[in-house]
Amino acid sequence: MASTAAQCQLDSVSGMTLDNILQFPEGHRILSCIQCGVCAGTCPYGDVMEYPPRKIIAMLRAGMVEKVFHSESLLNCVACYACMTKCPRDIRLTDILLPLMKEQALMHLPELPAELQKALQNTLRYGNPMGESSRKRAAWVKNAPVPVPIMNEIRRPVDVLWFVECYTSYYPRGQDTARATARLLHAIGADFAILGNEEKCAGECGRLTWEPGLFETLTDYNMAVFQKYQFNRMVASCPHSYNAFQRRYIPLGFTWPVDPVMAYLAYQIEKLKPLLTRKLNYKVTYHDSCCLGRFNDLYDEPRALLKAIPGVKLVEMVHNRMNSICCGGGGGGMWLDTYFKAKGHERLSERRVKEAVATGADVLAVSCPYEVSRFEDALKVLGFDKKMVVRDVTELLDEALEEQP
Amino acid sequence: MARIGIYVCHCGHNIAGTIDVKGVANYAASLPGVAVARDYKYMCSDPGQDLIKNDIRDHQLDRIIVAACSPSLHEATFRNATAQGGLNAYYFQMVNVREHDAWVHSDKAAATEKAKDLVRAAVYRVKLHKPLERRRVPIRPEVLVVGGGIAGIHASLSLAAAGKQVYLVEREPTIGGHMAQFDKTFPTLDCAACILTPKMTAVRANPNITLWTLSEVVKVEGFVGSYQVTVRHKPRYIIDDLCVGCLECVEACVFKEPRFSDEFNVGLGKRKPVYMPFPQAVPQLVLIDPETCIEFKTGKCKKTCVEACAERNAIDFTQKERLETIEVGSIILSTGFEVFDPHRIPYYGYGVYPNVYTALEVERLVNAAGPTGGEVVLRDGRKPKRVGIVHCVGSRDEHTNRYCSRVCCMYSLKLAHLVKEHTDAEIFNCYIDMRTPGKTFEEFYNRVGEEGVNFVRGKVADVYPDGDGSLVMQVEDTLLGIVRKIPVDMVVLAVGLEAHRDADAVRRMFNITCASEGFFVERHPKLAPVNTFTDGIFLAGCCQGPKDIPDTVAQAGAAAMEAAALIDKGYVELEPMTASVNEEECSGCKTCIPMCPYSAISQKADVKKAFINEVLCKGCGTCVAACPSGSIKQNLFEDEEIFEEIEGVLAYA
Repeated sequence: MASTAAQCQLDSVSGMTLDNILQFPEGHRILSCIQCGVCAGTCPYGDVMEYPPRKIIAMLRAGMVEKVFHSESLLNCVACYACMTKCPRDIRLTDILLPLMKEQALMHLPELPAELQKALQNTLRYGNPMGESSRKRAAWVKNAPVPVPIMNEIRRPVDVLWFVECYTSYYPRGQDTARATARLLHAIGADFAILGNEEKCAGECGRLTWEPGLFETLTDYNMAVFQKYQFNRMVASCPHSYNAFQRRYIPLGFTWPVDPVMAYLAYQIEKLKPLLTRKLNYKVTYHDSCCLGRFNDLYDEPRALLKAIPGVKLVEMVHNRMNSICCGGGGGGMWLDTYFKAKGHERLSERRVKEAVATGADVLAVSCPYEVSRFEDALKVLGFDKKMVVRDVTELLDEALEEQP
Repeated sequence: MARIGIYVCHCGHNIAGTIDVKGVANYAASLPGVAVARDYKYMCSDPGQDLIKNDIRDHQLDRIIVAACSPSLHEATFRNATAQGGLNAYYFQMVNVREHDAWVHSDKAAATEKAKDLVRAAVYRVKLHKPLERRRVPIRPEVLVVGGGIAGIHASLSLAAAGKQVYLVEREPTIGGHMAQFDKTFPTLDCAACILTPKMTAVRANPNITLWTLSEVVKVEGFVGSYQVTVRHKPRYIIDDLCVGCLECVEACVFKEPRFSDEFNVGLGKRKPVYMPFPQAVPQLVLIDPETCIEFKTGKCKKTCVEACAERNAIDFTQKERLETIEVGSIILSTGFEVFDPHRIPYYGYGVYPNVYTALEVERLVNAAGPTGGEVVLRDGRKPKRVGIVHCVGSRDEHTNRYCSRVCCMYSLKLAHLVKEHTDAEIFNCYIDMRTPGKTFEEFYNRVGEEGVNFVRGKVADVYPDGDGSLVMQVEDTLLGIVRKIPVDMVVLAVGLEAHRDADAVRRMFNITCASEGFFVERHPKLAPVNTFTDGIFLAGCCQGPKDIPDTVAQAGAAAMEAAALIDKGYVELEPMTASVNEEECSGCKTCIPMCPYSAISQKADVKKAFINEVLCKGCGTCVAACPSGSIKQNLFEDEEIFEEIEGVLAYA
């Protein structure tokens, strides 16, 4: 979907002016904007932004670059790809234009929102936004139900390098996903290993948020680690890291085929199906994560996995597939909840769970590690936590897996 | 020694703005064999052509070169001038210094050098030109019109009025096309049926028109003047000559109530297995749908229809498909369009929310002969109080169709007016740009505005239910700079026009071309808008591109005139740049036969050598290049001529 070369060129542009935006083919396309407003109309924060994407383009074309840079509008961009997916001129708003503008806007802020600043500093210092010790990254493995080999311990080539990512490694509910994934990989007989404490955040959110420097530090680090080992393919738990590897790391020499866990499992569904013997009598609604869905067209794979579970009844929310509503965690939104609250903006995770609850489902299935915590919080805040639980698709698959000795 | 005249055209600033035309002419004068070299402002003008004619006489020229625009524009002009000057028309060579040079370069010195190279190449090759003669082919007087919408109807009637014999072939059971489904027509609000059905009956009544419905063309052979066309007649299960259209069989059908989706009402109404497509259908014949008729499905129907038909005996369950081949001299394609399928834009909720309609469905709802008798009501019978009209659905969008469908703004205004008139609902038209560029169109826009229709400038981003049964249209009002969530009872999608799904198969069958968006390509976008690149095949209506009814009718008239002109002239002249086989060298290997895109090559049975039908050959050169023994040559492109041309272009001064 994305033109990687154009992104790299644009990533390296410093000192953003109208002229150098127009210099690159992807930037040049803003000249074709017909000001239809579908971007603003579909943006989950379109009604609270001072300058929605349409207006930003109009202002850029009118030479009002500074005014755009001095507006806080773009802090609302949760990088959900909704505007880009519907743009009739196919202008690469979410992955190219808006991050560039956002970077400038953040630089012009008198003060960065504290929560965001902390997350970015943590990521730089500890390799994860929570500020947890990098030595504890693989701590979850001790409680894993199956052996989880670690590259620098086993010292042999593997077929699959599983990139676990931060939330899945540290956050307690994320670790549930990690353990479920480990059991599934084991069950289908995958020859896999993880990087353990050597792994650091892939950096996608950093790039879409601020500071390309932070992103480069992480990419350089991760690439050096990858190159130490021999593996055939990478499987990523976090759709954000999948995006980073698939699009941003390639120009840096990343040549391995990479799949998000959802797709990797879906491609082996025939192997998996006979193992899913326990009936789960759940009514499930699936939330399309922005990175898997809109940005990578992976709509059917998670649904195919859910449908493979005996007893599961899948229902759809009003906004589904390419029209899904973001959980609000992308583009740094994960660390802007306090900022949004101060501004009086509705939390998108709350908007989303209202739709989920309206389906009458009792399980909200997700595929991105951000969503578990965001939706669980939202359900609690709205008092729906008795009605509905949040489960990663891998957790549901794991639950349906036959008992293992 | 040849005596060549060279003329370098300025084409106003088009060429002279980039190329030093005097310099090129002076250079040309220095080349061996060149007797006269001139530059002139507009060579295609009469004085320009006179220059050529006079110089041939005054300077005893025997070859002519014009360096000007593309040969596709003026080669014929200068060949004629050459012939009028007394030379064979093919002693002429054209050099394209406009499209190939001036228009594509900005470096003036280099462009001038390139022009000199191209002129020199022509000087080398023109000396080898041989005199050639155009062949005449007679034109059969019958015309085939494919597709019986308003374009096909109008073209057929125009030709018939001029006394020409027309075969009108329509795939559906009735003619009328999309126009028959419309309620009123913009901007005058004439009733579509009132102005269309008289023309439909006129088709049926005209002795010069042979009307075949439920029929489609399956094979086309031949060439301009003499096409052999095979038509498949699908069974109607009704004997045309015996059915009087009394509808008693429909009344008597074992299905007491109509229960099958009615195609004419785009699924909003129901019909029986035996039915008349709509009351004014032409021909006034019923038909039986074998997919739903019990007799076809089980063979055990009581056949109450046959009973009702009684001694008229018009029902025949044994009818079979049959093929018929006709000969025609020219063909008009008027195969129409399809409306965009809005399932392709999931966020507008078509097919998910019952109160999201296409514009064509709403045409049927407002129509007095439609499924609701002209009541604009929702699927649950309620009258809508608020109606949203979404413009540009499947148009102007990289994800669907890039082009503007041209008619949707106007029909959306029309539907806004009609729905308001029928329901007094509040109407919201959400548009990107309001396009009303036609005679009295802007006045109509003004009128609809004054009627109180709300115009919201913005592309609708989302349609979803609000929980209490109505729908929300979410759209940025770009003029107000706010996102609006407009509650409505009914959403109308102004779906765009698309090429017919089988346009590609049709264009292959008729050997014409489609552009990337699937519409048939005209020979020239301005100057030959109804011609195709295949002689004798013309275009009319939306198969060539989206257009409204007035433009369609105008184009149909033009296509009819082109066909009539061919017939009245009685013959066509064919360009002589055809290929021919040197039988002595041909080994009979048949390599060339499948290569020919025009099926012009066959093998002579007696001598087992390739033979090229000069009438079918278009001079594309494929066989010449493919022949392993080099035994095919092509007029004007003989090896020696091409080699000399290459020598010439490479012979830097």
